[in-house]
Amino acid sequence: MVLYNLRIALLSLRRNIVLSAVIVGGIALGIAVATLFSTMRHVLARDPIPDKSGRLFYVRLDTWDPLKPYPGDDPTRPPTQITYRDMVELMKSDIPVRQSGMFKANLYVFPDPKVGRPSKQVTRLCFSDFFAMFDVPFKYGGAWDRKADQGPEPVVVLNDELNGTLFGGADSVGRTVRIESRDFKVVGVLDRWRPAVKFYDVTQFAMQAPEAVYMPFNFLQPMRIQSVGNRDGWKSAPAPGLEGLLQSETCWIQMWVELPARDKVEAYKAFVDAYVVEQKKTGRFPRPLNNRVTPLMGWLREQKVVPNELNALMAVSLLFLGVCSLNLMGLLLAKFLARGPEIGVRRALGARRLDVFVQHVIECEVVAAIGGSLGILASLAGLAWMNTWMKALVAREEFFRLDLPMTGFAVLLSLVAGLLAGLYPAWRVCRIPPAVHLKLQ
Amino acid sequence: MSAVPAATLEFGPILRAMKRNKVRFGLIVFEVALTLAIVANCVTMVLDARRDMARRSGFDDPNLVSVRSTPFDPAFKEDGYLDNGVREDLRALRSMPGVRAATNTGFLPWQGGGSSTELRAAGSRGEMLRTQIYAVDEGTLDTLGVPIVEGRGFTPDDVVQGTEQLRALRRGPRARDAEGKPAQKITQDVVISSAYGRLAFGGNGPFVGKMLEDSDGDFYRVIGTIDAFYNPYGWPIHEYVVFYTNLGRSYEGGAPYLVRTEPGQAAAVVKQVEQKMVAVNGGRNLRVRTIEEIKGQFFAGKQLMATMMSGLVVLLVLVTSLGIVGLTSFSVTERTRQIGTRRALGARRADILRHFLLENWLLSSLGLGVGVLLAYALNFGLANAVAAAKLGWPLVAGGVLLLWTAGLLAALVPAMRAARVSPAIATRNV
Repeated sequence: MVLYNLRIALLSLRRNIVLSAVIVGGIALGIAVATLFSTMRHVLARDPIPDKSGRLFYVRLDTWDPLKPYPGDDPTRPPTQITYRDMVELMKSDIPVRQSGMFKANLYVFPDPKVGRPSKQVTRLCFSDFFAMFDVPFKYGGAWDRKADQGPEPVVVLNDELNGTLFGGADSVGRTVRIESRDFKVVGVLDRWRPAVKFYDVTQFAMQAPEAVYMPFNFLQPMRIQSVGNRDGWKSAPAPGLEGLLQSETCWIQMWVELPARDKVEAYKAFVDAYVVEQKKTGRFPRPLNNRVTPLMGWLREQKVVPNELNALMAVSLLFLGVCSLNLMGLLLAKFLARGPEIGVRRALGARRLDVFVQHVIECEVVAAIGGSLGILASLAGLAWMNTWMKALVAREEFFRLDLPMTGFAVLLSLVAGLLAGLYPAWRVCRIPPAVHLKLQ
Repeated sequence: MSAVPAATLEFGPILRAMKRNKVRFGLIVFEVALTLAIVANCVTMVLDARRDMARRSGFDDPNLVSVRSTPFDPAFKEDGYLDNGVREDLRALRSMPGVRAATNTGFLPWQGGGSSTELRAAGSRGEMLRTQIYAVDEGTLDTLGVPIVEGRGFTPDDVVQGTEQLRALRRGPRARDAEGKPAQKITQDVVISSAYGRLAFGGNGPFVGKMLEDSDGDFYRVIGTIDAFYNPYGWPIHEYVVFYTNLGRSYEGGAPYLVRTEPGQAAAVVKQVEQKMVAVNGGRNLRVRTIEEIKGQFFAGKQLMATMMSGLVVLLVLVTSLGIVGLTSFSVTERTRQIGTRRALGARRADILRHFLLENWLLSSLGLGVGVLLAYALNFGLANAVAAAKLGWPLVAGGVLLLWTAGLLAALVPAMRAARVSPAIATRNV
């Protein structure tokens, strides 16, 4: 019966090609636009590390000016980063199972002169927990151990791309890389790791690719490394240069902790508050107690990782699909009612109302399925175009991709649009009385 | 005279037809309404983005090029070596064909940030006021193309003195008093934007000779002001700036430059800069970008949204028009016999055409009426959810006109087909 209905639906579509093209094209357009923008938003809004995001927390302390709050959209928020001295103290806690303070720098990497000129590489200075905390995948070797953090030992982790440039992609664990004025031993090479959102550091442009080089945080002082991240300050440093920065109230370090359970979260919050209360006795932290231990997804939302422009585009594209659906409804209604005499004959020959209704709903769903498929294909073309744009803008390859959940969403969207548009026309047409049109004939 | 009563008479049958086909006609009404709401809001957002993008910086943006030198040769760590290098670089840059001016400054227009500090009128005890602050040399304002409106710009001597003074401070910790403030205050000469002058000192100037102070109590003496300054920042201080003198070392240990080219020469200069600079000193890499490129990146998101939304508006009007064509065609087909009868009874072609256009116009108008309300409702939602701009009534009026026209044009095709229906149809069966 379903097959028979499908055949009728296809025949009906072939009867008036132009009208069918308009009907199918309209819904295809709606699905294409809605899928395109929903997917783009989804790529930025989805949980980047679903297995762990509930256990990862971003730490902030309100060290700001007593006279006025940290500038920004919301005056109740503490600075987005913390000071060096607070990071050092917080890292002494044994409540988190893993933790890392971190910042970003641009450092010169000197390849073998036969391979190429020295080049600046984006580098993350972090502690060994960084890799396990964020599930960073390794191709060769692995993270340095916690002992190497303390030395610090001259060890380094490279990403796949830099390992390709420096060592032709070979297993380079144990080999030496010169960074600025020192030699480092490679302990690990990352597998391809390109999360759409650089979720562990969204204080600057969130769509940057992860860093090429990872080295122990404590090289900060011996190598006098300058951060290229944001630095927010309100009070002048007590001394010039790096020493001054390290003793200052300047906020420039990101701090993450992994807390495996609810009670640990409470315990850690209590620890942070107790630390700040203690510091207040020395005259620091002049503002009211306002520390934040924010879960990963909450932090990404607070930092507006999904730009307003994209939210607006998605909202508008869904409304656009709504118009396409209304349009489909009108056209189907017209098409079905024009078929009145034929339906009258079928009803007179014994077709039940339900038969007629089901037949027309199926026809609508056929239209929606064809339109939806075309729309999904068109959205793929749209995403490909967006990717060339992203490549030019931030040098990211294949940034937007239609994943399985979004394909499912697009299919569902098509079928729902078809059903909503088709229910009323199908109901109208199945109520055509058998006799009227026969008389007219 | 006869046209007026005839037209009014036609409302009767049209309205009765609408009553009988509430859903079908209701669909057109609702579709038109939704289309107007979306179009008006999209165009508002597009215009808002365009306004932002059209914002003038006050600088000669199309002819500015950023050149950043990042050395890997350790010799650059010496101040003296770097200073010599800066002088050689500037000489080399200025001697290039097509270059009008070159300067050593960390200021980079349109990068969406920079550096900032808090100052206030000296001795005012008032609130500290945040402003952008950048180190410049004697050629920076000229390179940016910004005229001094009051007082004077910096001289080469200012730059030498300013640099010396700051370097002396960096040699060691300053002696501090009981409050932790430096015992000996310094004074730097600065050029400020008049917007910051108004904020800090109140009134419209003159600001030359006035003093600012920072949280350490160090002083900044205003020697000149500029009017034109706009550089978007993460905080709302886009029009506030304080320029002081210092031979610039970038945060990466190299030197940042801005180059102003002869009109239209930016692309040509960009091509030659790297080679030229590496010839001066090979111990470094260079990053050369036009300011237009940097501006393009800064506005990329807005630009994309504007393009996409404009495209959506066109598609939407197209889809809605096709929908009107379809439904009106159906009306015509369904009523072929009535049309034939009317024609046989003496109605002219123009009467039939008018009937369908009028019917359509009524539906559109009803839809547009609902659409105006819907547009404001949607704008309210978008303003809350994504900080969209407010909807202006001229734009809504424009949208109404656009959709009225589109609706009439869409109805014209099937209406003309209706007008061609032969009176003989009436006599045929079926």
